[in-house]
Amino acid sequence: MRCLIFSDDADNLKEIISYFYKKMDIDVFCNSEVLDYGANNVYKYNDGFSDNISEYLIELYNKNKYDYIFISSTNLGRQIAGILSDKLNEKCMPEIFSFENDYKVVTKRFFYGGKSVLTEETDFKIFTVAPGIYEAKKVDKRSNLIDAKLKNSRYKILSKKKKNTGGNDITKAKVIVSIGRGLGSKENIEKVMPLVDALHGEIAGSRPVCLDYKWLSEDKQVGLSGKKVKPDFYIALGISGQIQHLAGIRNAKTIIAINKDKNAPIFEECDYGIVGDLFTVVPKLVDKLKNN
Amino acid sequence: MDIIVLIKQTVDMDQIRLNENNEVIAEDLPLKTDVLSKNAIETAVQLKEKYGGKVTGIIFGTEKATSSMKEAYAMGVDDGYIIKGYKKSDPIITSKVLSNKIKEIKNDLIILGNQSSDSYSGLLAGLLASELDMNLLSNAIKIDVDGDNVNVTMEAEKEEITMESKLPAIISVAQEINEPRLPNVMKIMAAGKKNINIEETDVKYENDDKILSDKAPENKRKKIIYEDGNGIDEIAKILKVVK
Ligand SMILES: Cc1cc2nc3c(=O)[nH]c(=O)nc-3n(C[C@H](O)[C@H](O)[C@H](O)COP(=O)(O)OP(=O)(O)OC[C@H]3O[C@@H](n4cnc5c(N)ncnc54)[C@H](O)[C@@H]3O)c2cc1C
Repeated sequence: MRCLIFSDDADNLKEIISYFYKKMDIDVFCNSEVLDYGANNVYKYNDGFSDNISEYLIELYNKNKYDYIFISSTNLGRQIAGILSDKLNEKCMPEIFSFENDYKVVTKRFFYGGKSVLTEETDFKIFTVAPGIYEAKKVDKRSNLIDAKLKNSRYKILSKKKKNTGGNDITKAKVIVSIGRGLGSKENIEKVMPLVDALHGEIAGSRPVCLDYKWLSEDKQVGLSGKKVKPDFYIALGISGQIQHLAGIRNAKTIIAINKDKNAPIFEECDYGIVGDLFTVVPKLVDKLKNN
Repeated sequence: MDIIVLIKQTVDMDQIRLNENNEVIAEDLPLKTDVLSKNAIETAVQLKEKYGGKVTGIIFGTEKATSSMKEAYAMGVDDGYIIKGYKKSDPIITSKVLSNKIKEIKNDLIILGNQSSDSYSGLLAGLLASELDMNLLSNAIKIDVDGDNVNVTMEAEKEEITMESKLPAIISVAQEINEPRLPNVMKIMAAGKKNINIEETDVKYENDDKILSDKAPENKRKKIIYEDGNGIDEIAKILKVVK
């Protein structure tokens, strides 16, 4: 079995290569030098767009007769997956987080915004891969680096602006204290920082907190459209636990929730919960942690 | 400027119930306009308000889609087509049906939501752009038209990228691009009386995707809940291992 992986995000790329390493022969098309994760050939491009990248991938696919194409689900990746699906007239299975091909291809993905997991058997050739499919691992094998020259694109970049990021990567954190709309205001972050510090954790948040109110930077958003995290402890403060948020914390080992509403859905999806006002519970918890 | 907006109706995911085997009961769920489709409608209507022209809405859906089209009319969409025959999430089929219709309608811009909230696949814009040989810009948070050109700021994972492209173009929008308007009663009443063009597709689904299971993610959480001021000691003890 041979596969071709496309990704414009080095972290996702490493995860995907590690996931398929030893299961099949891997060639990679990307814009980073990811050479020690187990791929055979790494085709590296600079400054590509959906049109010229798709064109190159189709040439590679036709030349090397890959069994499967895996594309990391980034904004550019999804554009390219759609284009390839049309041009190659092959269906694309989107957003997979599991792939097996013992006898037939069986994939898993979330559906209904995370309410259900679809396990499907298909003979599709193209897949987009959700971030966090596997833990990236370096291997001894060194990949061939091949310089990929792209054709001219019909698109032109006018400007780029790096997004604000708030330091550490929450997908690597062992302890996450996550805040929701229940925190009330940006100023109140101060009131929960002692808990973050006492646990040497990282702070993260729900979508409204990161995207709408911007109390935290966007890279701290947990959930379906944010980061999928896998800490040992995930402590949800004033988060209701909507399905899209839960989709980001399924791999947390232990979930602790503090919420003043006894009926909040988060209490159905946590290991330990305290029904109460976070502004009274958090200081007490910090005291206890410090004094013992 | 002639704008087409693609609108999706999805099941109301908050109403999903599970049976005793933890499987989704998908029948008879109420339908509603998908969240990002509302942002797409708002985008199209704002562009019309700014640059003039006409907005045509297309829904590939079922006979129940009239409620979503009326909502689109109330928000400012001028004309609408419902193409019946939607059975399931299958981006290639959706793309074929929509592109057949799009080819019949004059357009400079096609607007749609970047990812729909049921499948989250986000493949449609690329499929359509390829099928219709149009320029593709996705996850837009800002759109400015300047003569034959459109400048679009797109939200990528680590940066915001502003790109220039020629019209016609197909642009998918992010939720952050706008706050969809809530039409007043007058507009809703007027929308109810407007004609909706209803057609049927002859594009056929293939049976090439076998669902082995459709279950809620396993929930093995302990669910130990403390009330009335209790639980601090217990949780502090559990967290002790961290230090
Ligand atoms: C397509 C799509 C994608 C999405 N993706 C994501 C995603 O990736 N991540 C995400 O998080 N959301 C996502 N959402 C949004 C999601 O549906 C919810 O709207 C969001 O998660 C709610 O955030 P919240 O829990 O902070 O706020 P709310 O739902 O408003 O909950 C606030 C909670 O705080 C509690 N509270 C208030 N005051 C206190 C207090 N003093 N002490 C204790 N508790 C208190 C309340 O009881 C309430 O339960 C998405 C939605 C859509 C449609």
